[in-house]
Amino acid sequence: MNHEQQMLKDIGIVSFTVVELALYLDTHPHDRSAMEYFNHYNRIKTQMEKEFSRTHFPLTLSMAECGKNWTWGEAPLPWEGVCD
Amino acid sequence: MQDYKFDEYPDKFPVAMAYVPWQHFNGIYDDLEKAYQAGTIFPELNKPFTGRRCTS
Repeated sequence: MNHEQQMLKDIGIVSFTVVELALYLDTHPHDRSAMEYFNHYNRIKTQMEKEFSRTHFPLTLSMAECGKNWTWGEAPLPWEGVCD
Repeated sequence: MQDYKFDEYPDKFPVAMAYVPWQHFNGIYDDLEKAYQAGTIFPELNKPFTGRRCTS
């Protein structure tokens, strides 16, 4: 598993955690400690995605800060057999 | 939505109706990868099916 795949896996795990906390908050909108957990992991997720976008390619268009080249266009496309 | 907590208002619960105790937040798994494998970050919701394996 290379660095890119490891980062993608970690982003997936943190994203899963954020979704789980969001689902809990949907039914417990006033739960402060759950909100703190959500903010904490949501910040981590955003940082990881920014880092991944900088080192590999943007995962979503909103992350595509184009420096000298159009990184969004260089991202591998799922239907091109990238996902195993 | 009136929030009847099971332990507080047992007499308020009507007979012959199903109800689910309310989940309370007391932290999540430390190991997020294990939580990811288990399919939940809440230990109290981690109820893997442990019926007999099918002996196919």
